[in-house]
Amino acid sequence: MAGRFRRPVGLIALTTGLLLATAACGGGSLKADGGDTGEGPVKIGLLVPRSGIYKALGDDMKNGFELYAKQHGGRLGGREVKIVVADEGESAESGKAAALKLVKQDRVLVVSGVVSSATINGVKDLFESSKVPLVGSNASPTTLTGTHYIWRTSYVNDEPGKALGKYVAAKAQGPVFLIGAGYQAGKDEIEGFKSTFLPAGGKTAAAEVYTPFPQTKNFQPYLAQIEKSGAKAVFCFYAGGAAVDFVKQYRDFGLAGKIPLYAPGFLTEGGVLKGQGDAADGIRTSMNYSADLGNAANKAFAPAYRSAYGAAPTTYAMASYDAAQVLDKAIAAAGSKVTPQSVNDALAKVGDIDSPRGTWHFNSDGTPVQPWYLREVKQGANSLTSELVRLGG
Amino acid sequence: MGGWLDSHLVSVVDGVAFGLLLFTLAVGLSLVFGLMDVLNLAHGTLYLAGAYVAYALSDGSLWALLLALVAGVAAGTLGGAALTLLTQPLARRGHLDQAVLTLGITFIAADLLAASFGGEVLPTDPPTALRGSADLLGHTYPIYRLVFIGVALAAAALVYLVFERSSLGALVRAAVADRDMVRALGVDTRKVLYGVFAFGAALAALGGVLGAPILGPGPGVDETVLVLSLVVVVVGGLGSVRGALVGALLIGQVQTLGVALLPEYAPFLLFGTMLAVLVVRPRGLLPSAVRT
Repeated sequence: MAGRFRRPVGLIALTTGLLLATAACGGGSLKADGGDTGEGPVKIGLLVPRSGIYKALGDDMKNGFELYAKQHGGRLGGREVKIVVADEGESAESGKAAALKLVKQDRVLVVSGVVSSATINGVKDLFESSKVPLVGSNASPTTLTGTHYIWRTSYVNDEPGKALGKYVAAKAQGPVFLIGAGYQAGKDEIEGFKSTFLPAGGKTAAAEVYTPFPQTKNFQPYLAQIEKSGAKAVFCFYAGGAAVDFVKQYRDFGLAGKIPLYAPGFLTEGGVLKGQGDAADGIRTSMNYSADLGNAANKAFAPAYRSAYGAAPTTYAMASYDAAQVLDKAIAAAGSKVTPQSVNDALAKVGDIDSPRGTWHFNSDGTPVQPWYLREVKQGANSLTSELVRLGG
Repeated sequence: MGGWLDSHLVSVVDGVAFGLLLFTLAVGLSLVFGLMDVLNLAHGTLYLAGAYVAYALSDGSLWALLLALVAGVAAGTLGGAALTLLTQPLARRGHLDQAVLTLGITFIAADLLAASFGGEVLPTDPPTALRGSADLLGHTYPIYRLVFIGVALAAAALVYLVFERSSLGALVRAAVADRDMVRALGVDTRKVLYGVFAFGAALAALGGVLGAPILGPGPGVDETVLVLSLVVVVVGGLGSVRGALVGALLIGQVQTLGVALLPEYAPFLLFGTMLAVLVVRPRGLLPSAVRT
């Protein structure tokens, strides 16, 4: 049959095209209504993944936000709130479509959530130009600066690495191997780590390695490279499924126990820790939160979260809980006329937040000035070791 | 040479394990598409279903793995038969319709699986007896992967013998070469179609059960393995068991040894290899000799 050889190529093109096209599908539709009347519920958009590889993070963020609202009788700033959830999906396209729906169709007062850096970069102009505040509770690439309507209750992507650099430089008994997932957050984390690790006298074992994301499932070739490099410690950045694969294979190929592993806290955060099982024991991570922190705000948060959702709260849930808390304060401060603009103005003056992570406040870039902690995995749980540093100022 | 082999031995062995895992997936896809002309993009879902079965049934004993194998193969066979039933009415309407239908099934199944198992990747532990690591000429290597290589090699040999050396395989190949003639001989060719489809699906589910400790079930895994097996099919050539095996082993090495040797080119190696093969041999390395 002439021309039959062309079919495999067409097959791949077709499949790829379909996969890409369907990834762009947004959420359902809800009827739109008018602006603020001074009373009645205010609408808050929650843009979190309800499907795809980030679904677990999206669940945590939704839970954290809803818990705060529930603890406050379904009211934020004295106003009854209606939470409109939209599916961010896995890609910037699906996130953009969902954000557009929240802003233009549902006409929400503010939006919170956003897991992926690609999404937040993609929706930046939408929020800036429509002057609707976005109080993000996870995604925060280093390149996102100079915005007026975008706030984040999480951290800037290079901070978890920055927090750990000096500590690892002092602890490691030789060169350190740097490896991370090959996307923006991975690069931000590794650069952040280097920015404090190298000045503190740390030495790297080889050039840093970025593994293709998300398709890398088998880390064996990279683990072989680490072994060959003679590194005395490893700093890695992985989250979600890749974190489970990396940690398990780190043990299976005999590196655990021989070469200590350091990472930003996502490596062992939330559900992934359960998946890693005892392979995660001894991993030391930096994070702005640990479920076993002893402050009063966390004592009101962590047990309530555990009894509501049956799992220890993660930093994702905590940051989303804080986003609700920030909005609670800002809506109250906005006074009688609650509009996106008045809430945004109030956000700038919201002051100290008494958070489960400890007290923090927004800096001029709209990201938190907050404490960072060192944690170690012991018997399947992240346990607090010490406070490392305060970053964000 | 000895030193080179020593430092890359683990990568080579792991490439074989990974390649054989891809083979269990690709062979079904290749036969169904190459021989039956049905484009089944729900093939990755069958792997995912098998992997979830392994996760749900695993309790650390070998019996649980055996039970999961039986359950997985049964589920795969049923899934394959159901997919044949669904794609049959579209047989004359070209590949796009089949692709849209099977891709739709993929999304529905993925959402149902995510609803029942959650959004996390669920790495399944191998049975207690096969856990831990072995010493491979001075290198550490997981025992389960060694066992996997053995089992998957046996499965590959069995598939090869059945399709290329048995009368049953001859019947399938004959049905493809000239369906009307086989029908005239009194054979119900629909049964052959259902049989091949169900067999390929069962093999993918089997790969899922055995592969769960290596490539654990979670959202998105179905697409990952689908794309990898499509690449294997393109590289190996459509409709041949040997082609699928050679393609899978090659892609396995590219994904392990290739990445170890050229880490900075890791994102391009997979499709670079495919491109190179397509340029040199547009029909794949070992395409089916049945149809010309």
